[in-house]
Amino acid sequence: MTPRPPDAALLPNAALVARREFLERVRSRAFAVATLILAVVAVGLTFIPIIVRAADRETTVRIAVVADDPALAGRTIELLDGFLNQPPQGADPATFTRRYRFSRESSADAGAAAMAAARVDALLMVGRTSAGGLAFAYRTSESALSSRSQVLQVVTFAIALFDWQAEYGTRPGVPPFQLPTFTVQSSAASAGGSPLDSQETASRSILATILIVLIFITLTIYGMWVATSVASEKSSRVMELLISTATPRQLLVGKVVGVGAAGLTQYLAIVLPAAGALLLQDRIAAFFLGAGTDASVPLAGPNPAILLAFGVLFLLGFLLYAFIYAAAGSLVSRPEDIQQLALPLSFLSMAGYFSAVFGLASIGSPVVAVLSYVPFFSPFVMLARLSLGHVQPWELALSLGLLVAAIGVAMLVATRIYAAGVLLYGQRPGLRAFVRAAITGGNG
Amino acid sequence: MTLHVDGVSKRFGRIVALDGIDFRVEPGEVFGFIGPNGAGKTTTMRIVLDILRPDAGQVTWHGRPTAELPRRTFGYLPEERGLYPRMNVLEQLVFFAGLHGLSREQARRSALGWLERFRVPELAGRRSDELSKGNQQKIQFIAAILHDPEVLLMDEPFTGLDPVNVAMLKAAFGEMSARGRTLIISTHQMEVVEALCGSIAIIDRGRVVVGGRVRDVKRASGRTVVRLAVEGDVGVEWAAEIAGVRVSRPGHDYTELTVDRSVDPETILRAAIARGARVIRFEVAEPSLEEIFIERVGYDPGDRIDLAPPEASGVPAADPAADPAPVTEEPAA
Repeated sequence: MTPRPPDAALLPNAALVARREFLERVRSRAFAVATLILAVVAVGLTFIPIIVRAADRETTVRIAVVADDPALAGRTIELLDGFLNQPPQGADPATFTRRYRFSRESSADAGAAAMAAARVDALLMVGRTSAGGLAFAYRTSESALSSRSQVLQVVTFAIALFDWQAEYGTRPGVPPFQLPTFTVQSSAASAGGSPLDSQETASRSILATILIVLIFITLTIYGMWVATSVASEKSSRVMELLISTATPRQLLVGKVVGVGAAGLTQYLAIVLPAAGALLLQDRIAAFFLGAGTDASVPLAGPNPAILLAFGVLFLLGFLLYAFIYAAAGSLVSRPEDIQQLALPLSFLSMAGYFSAVFGLASIGSPVVAVLSYVPFFSPFVMLARLSLGHVQPWELALSLGLLVAAIGVAMLVATRIYAAGVLLYGQRPGLRAFVRAAITGGNG
Repeated sequence: MTLHVDGVSKRFGRIVALDGIDFRVEPGEVFGFIGPNGAGKTTTMRIVLDILRPDAGQVTWHGRPTAELPRRTFGYLPEERGLYPRMNVLEQLVFFAGLHGLSREQARRSALGWLERFRVPELAGRRSDELSKGNQQKIQFIAAILHDPEVLLMDEPFTGLDPVNVAMLKAAFGEMSARGRTLIISTHQMEVVEALCGSIAIIDRGRVVVGGRVRDVKRASGRTVVRLAVEGDVGVEWAAEIAGVRVSRPGHDYTELTVDRSVDPETILRAAIARGARVIRFEVAEPSLEEIFIERVGYDPGDRIDLAPPEASGVPAADPAADPAPVTEEPAA
């Protein structure tokens, strides 16, 4: 058991080191500029759902109506057109673009063929029940709960009502009005119990990709901050004074926490305006897209749960990578030499980044699930899985637990390397020096 | 009740940095830690400060291993000076004092007080990369003593300082020593040691060559120094013919002779008078630490310690007029 001086406790010295580091960071001009640029970008990103909505407004949805009775088919199309293609208030009916286009297919098979050939987007099949009511079946690639199918269901009620009125006068023995049945045959991917339609999946994937890229960039940038900061303390030789004043553990933890706090400040400065923009999204949408926009189109923008997960995974991922970067920084004599170590270090985060981005495409695969527990990858891969809604609570707990444990191990190893590294000058940085320092702790 | 460096050894790979270093420093003493470059001075200091752990031996202060003592027991002025370049001086001092356990208010007051005493109160708000080298050094010294350490270790504290600042620093040392603080100065500036230190240890190649009170070290050298000058432009080289006497430093004003203790210095004076020389200076003194240092750090009397002549190395001489440079006509490659 190595003797420990009484002032070797982590606090208060680590807090003092962290405070100094934090203030030096956030007072620098580079910090202010980078934060401003990123905040503008983030606010821009919150407009993605509005852009998606605007794009959706431009798209025409083609629905084929299948009915044995031509009169029923004609009536259905007429009513659908009347209800769904109403020009919004204030719009000029002459220039208004219809959002739905309707056609008729003779049979369900023909309709299915048209859908397969992408000539139509959805099928609405209408049949008459033996009791005289109407039965609708809606076949779509969107989710069964998508707002479009809900709107259609409402319209089918009107269709049934008009149909009943029309039939009532023409022949005797028509039964009293019956509510129509409406079933949806959705081919949308359904996962984790909550069905996602293709539009929402795409929107969430875009968001997940953005967040994964953001984690990758910030981990690398903030990691390099830590490494550069350690190396410049060495090159300015203030390290000699520091190391005689505080223990390596105090210095290392203080540095990582200080840079982390500066990173978190930047993160909040970026996220808060973006969150504000998000809250005002409907008003912003109304402003840009004009009045009467269909507000019920589903928005899969950045929701609070995903932003929280991003924050937690970013913090833990940062701690893990920061200790490694700090150890690397302690092995070089000048900040310029960090570049030599930055490349091998970035392989690790790059591997996590790529497995997450490719994992988005096959989110249910066991490989992705396993990678979401591996500490160096989990900040990326778990975020991907969370974004697409595929995670059980125990899976998240396991992944975070392993990550926290890995941070503890990284701290111990990094402290050894740091204690040895900060007094070494003029040696070539490399993996071998890294390993040797970790083993001997500077006393070999 | 001393600082005891007790048989400390330390290897770095195959290099033996310290090989059983052993010495004691009494509380309140100014101690000179002397040795050539690479002798192990900085390594010893780092072990005292528990930045490095020894392979064998230990360092104790008042009987307790220094590794168990709070770090604020010690103050350290490293040889390689360094401050945070973009940080303001006062903040920097408060930061370092804070690491040693001072409150922000205590640290502020103490830092401003010391800046005042070193007659540089205007530096408080300046960034340290705007300061002159001498001022940076003052700031660093203040950083080392703000927490009023019991033991202050300083590696070459005077290099780069002008005489006025050297005097200020010496005065600060004197004050600290008078208040019972223990000062260890590592240096190879012998005149500093002669002026300030009560005790010394000379180390070479990781071992203590000689140590103890300066007076005792000088006595133990077994030699006396005689400074002799005679009227007229007459040499005194004849003195070397006396057994036990050699010319250690020929000079214009006087010649310095090193005399074995077995020889009575009077013998030299009598010999001079016998030769009819008019003696205008005759001084018997202890050998200087520099002489002891040169003698004890392992140079054999046969070793040449003067600069080798230029023709031996192909390097042009310092005075090109005296030695036409032979290397100017190099054919182009």
